[in-house]
Amino acid sequence: MDTFLLSLIVLFAGGIFSLLTYRQFNLMKGAYIAITAIGCLAGLFSIMTPLQEPSVVVTFSRPWLHLFTLSFTLDALSAFFLIPIFAVCPLAVLYSFHYMDKADRKGSTGVNFFFFNILIASMALVATADNIISFALVWEIMSISSFFLVIYDYQKEETRRAGYIYFIFSQAGAMFIFAAFALAYSRTGSYDFAAFAGMPGTIKIIVFFLALVGFGSKAGIFPLHMWLPHAHPAAPSNISAVMSGVMIKMGIYGIIRLYAVLDVTDLIFGQTLLTLGAVSGVLGVVYALGKHDLKKLLAYHSVENIGIILIGAGIGMIGIASDNMVMASFGFAGGLLHVLNHSIFKSLLFLGAGAVLQKTKTRHIDQLGGLIKRMPITGKSFLIGSVSISGLPPFNGFVSEFLIYYGAFHGLTLSGSSFIFTMFGIISLAIIGGLAAACFSKVVGVVFLGEPRSENAAMAVEAGGTITLPMIILAASCLVIGIFPDPFVQSAFSGMRAIKVLVPVTAPEVAIVTANLALAARLFLGMLLFSLVLRKIFYRNKVIERGPTWGCGFTQPTVKMQYTATSYARSVINFYRPFVLIRDSYSGISRIFPGRTTYETRVDDIAETALTDQVVTPILYLLSKFRWIQHGHIQLYIAYIVVTIIVLLLFL
Amino acid sequence: MESYLSLAIAILAAPLFPGIILKVKAFFAGKKGPPLLIKYYTLAKLLQKGSVYSNSTSFVFTLGPTVSLASALVVLLFFPFAGADPLFSFHGDVIVLFYLMAIGRFFTVIAALDTASPFEGMGAAREVFFSTLAEATIFTILILFYRLNGSLSFAEYFTGENPISLAGASGALLLFAIVSLFMVLLTENSRVPVDDPATHLELTMIHEVMILDHSGPDLALIELGAFYKLFFYSAFITHLMYPFTLAHGISNGVIFYIIIAIIYGAVGMTESIMARYKMNLVPKFILTSFALVFFAAILTMGVFQ
Repeated sequence: MDTFLLSLIVLFAGGIFSLLTYRQFNLMKGAYIAITAIGCLAGLFSIMTPLQEPSVVVTFSRPWLHLFTLSFTLDALSAFFLIPIFAVCPLAVLYSFHYMDKADRKGSTGVNFFFFNILIASMALVATADNIISFALVWEIMSISSFFLVIYDYQKEETRRAGYIYFIFSQAGAMFIFAAFALAYSRTGSYDFAAFAGMPGTIKIIVFFLALVGFGSKAGIFPLHMWLPHAHPAAPSNISAVMSGVMIKMGIYGIIRLYAVLDVTDLIFGQTLLTLGAVSGVLGVVYALGKHDLKKLLAYHSVENIGIILIGAGIGMIGIASDNMVMASFGFAGGLLHVLNHSIFKSLLFLGAGAVLQKTKTRHIDQLGGLIKRMPITGKSFLIGSVSISGLPPFNGFVSEFLIYYGAFHGLTLSGSSFIFTMFGIISLAIIGGLAAACFSKVVGVVFLGEPRSENAAMAVEAGGTITLPMIILAASCLVIGIFPDPFVQSAFSGMRAIKVLVPVTAPEVAIVTANLALAARLFLGMLLFSLVLRKIFYRNKVIERGPTWGCGFTQPTVKMQYTATSYARSVINFYRPFVLIRDSYSGISRIFPGRTTYETRVDDIAETALTDQVVTPILYLLSKFRWIQHGHIQLYIAYIVVTIIVLLLFL
Repeated sequence: MESYLSLAIAILAAPLFPGIILKVKAFFAGKKGPPLLIKYYTLAKLLQKGSVYSNSTSFVFTLGPTVSLASALVVLLFFPFAGADPLFSFHGDVIVLFYLMAIGRFFTVIAALDTASPFEGMGAAREVFFSTLAEATIFTILILFYRLNGSLSFAEYFTGENPISLAGASGALLLFAIVSLFMVLLTENSRVPVDDPATHLELTMIHEVMILDHSGPDLALIELGAFYKLFFYSAFITHLMYPFTLAHGISNGVIFYIIIAIIYGAVGMTESIMARYKMNLVPKFILTSFALVFFAAILTMGVFQ
């Protein structure tokens, strides 16, 4: 615990340092990166012990304001969630050296770095908080510091709007969490999470579902995901990487931690999470297919991956409820491992998107193309990230999805509703996998392959060294986890020891599964090598020419004729029509010699449309009736205050 | 030894069977048709040639053929041809193998997009759309099989004490599985009525248009991968139709290849008597296969247990 606290102090010091020395821009950035890296390494070092010996639990507590106690505990589940925090954040910080290069915004950059380190520290504290007060405190610090990170480009109206949306969602979500905590406190009379287990069953269910709304809005569960596609494109890319890769996982942590401390075994928890997961997963990826803003698309993929994680957790909870421990262990292990995996490939993809954005100044993927030749390192690492996020072997995304499948298949022996839910989970996972591959073949194909569709894309050059290095490291981790899955799966297994009702499968049994996965991954790589050698042999002494692409007889192709992302995704989106709103506007051709025609198509999120039409618009209408209360007369405002106080005093 | 032998025969014989499809189609058209060994001749011809690469392409273009071949080959290593133990097998290998086939498809698709050709992009879009639907059918088939004998690998399905086969206790359910698997075979291997490998108009193609720019040995590797994929699906159906645990060795092998030939014949017959569907009918076709096997999986809840 001492090392852990030390690492937080170093991180805080790094933040303060960047505030004080921002005038020496490059020096500040270099030293700040070094301090933050040291802090995160210390943090990684501190979680080694709890990961390897899950029985060791260390606690740190101190009184606060004479009334409360702030208490933090480092156990295996916390340690597992701390891995992405301490491993991914320093890479995003390193990335900012070349990415945050606007010399005219030294002050804002210094503030940004300060809040970044506050965010890292508060996330680490969220993952260790073990009573209501400390959790609520650090949760709010996390939400507010990330809000300031999102509005880095506050001069743009779009960014401010995204910031407000994020702020409203995170605060409304926090309200639900606090309501759940308040309810629990009124029942137990104790701030400790440990006391939650003693509550009656129905209260537990209410507490869980209240908190689920709050955690769900942080994690981005459908339909509470709406802030993601606004906040991620608005924030700088290293911030999006950390928010999407790491911060939203704190919502998942909250759900799993709450499930663990509530000590419940009812079927309803698993069934709800599984359903939410399947809906988030499928709709997340369908919307991602429909979006053509690179960062918005990645934001929707976060919704999809949160869905996969929830399917895993749901399978695990159904397993616990029906006393099927193989199903429970592998479901939870897959969900937890996917938390780590998603933090790796999603931050890789956001960093890649940031590099593309920096060099081409365009986020719309239909204006990009051919970047793999101009930005080879970014392109190759983005390709690896895309294959990983599509859950394809031999990369890491597959390992976690396989574990979820493995758990789910072992739940098929159950009868009745559990069988139906498990089957539903498997089929959704299969559909999500297929759609994710469709979506990322679209992204890679349209952004990085083919010919550039605009001047900006044609002029792009490779990004700077500190931008490409983090991507290389992340891409390599994707492959390493895919080929050597055992230590990572085992740490996921040790992480779930916090769930007391779960009796995990023993380590040797897990080792058999991971060894098999590793075998398959290596066999595939071996076969690939064999095919490559075979190809080399066949091409020995052969004439290889280069020419234009075969245009099926058409001899004057232009880059505009390439298939666009819009048309690529159209048929899939059409298929999911009732859940996706497609709006076309076509000016049509009227005269014999037509003038300029326009065609525009956009895909809208039904949750967002419903929120706007059914909730926001009526409320705004209602509130507009009360607008006369606001008139600008100070003396009347003071009168309001006095009257309110008098009325309140009557109730005392 | 038996494992190596059966694998070697499968690898060598796979290009033979598409010749049967051509023969059957020729018979229905009243023609003589190309020789049975036509695919071997094609491969040999392609391997002797050089290649022309498009100026738009990058290294991804050359990865397409190799990755798709590698994924098809790995699947063969896990399959118990004619009841012989496969070289590798573990609990859960079916999930890995169907995902490996997906990575083969992923690289074929991005290799197509690498050419900057509008036609290839169109083919790629269709391929990924139809395969996402087919994936649901495949996993429902796996769910059904897990309900029937609690296993998750090809070897457990078809060797062992209680193999999944038409002759078994719940053979009636397997009729659904066989029909829908045959429909998946037609979809995944770009056969009529989903796709027409013999068509001449690029706008109506799916798979063929994606490989327009590949030539020479690259094209040969793609073709080889496609032969193995089709062979794997046919072998899968063959094992469902006939259990290969009863007899031993040679007779098993003979029966296996006879049934395989019949399945290829059925593919050829389908191609001869049916027209390809309009593109908007294809999703319905695939969903029919899903509905069939989903129905079978639901039936395991009570009636057949």
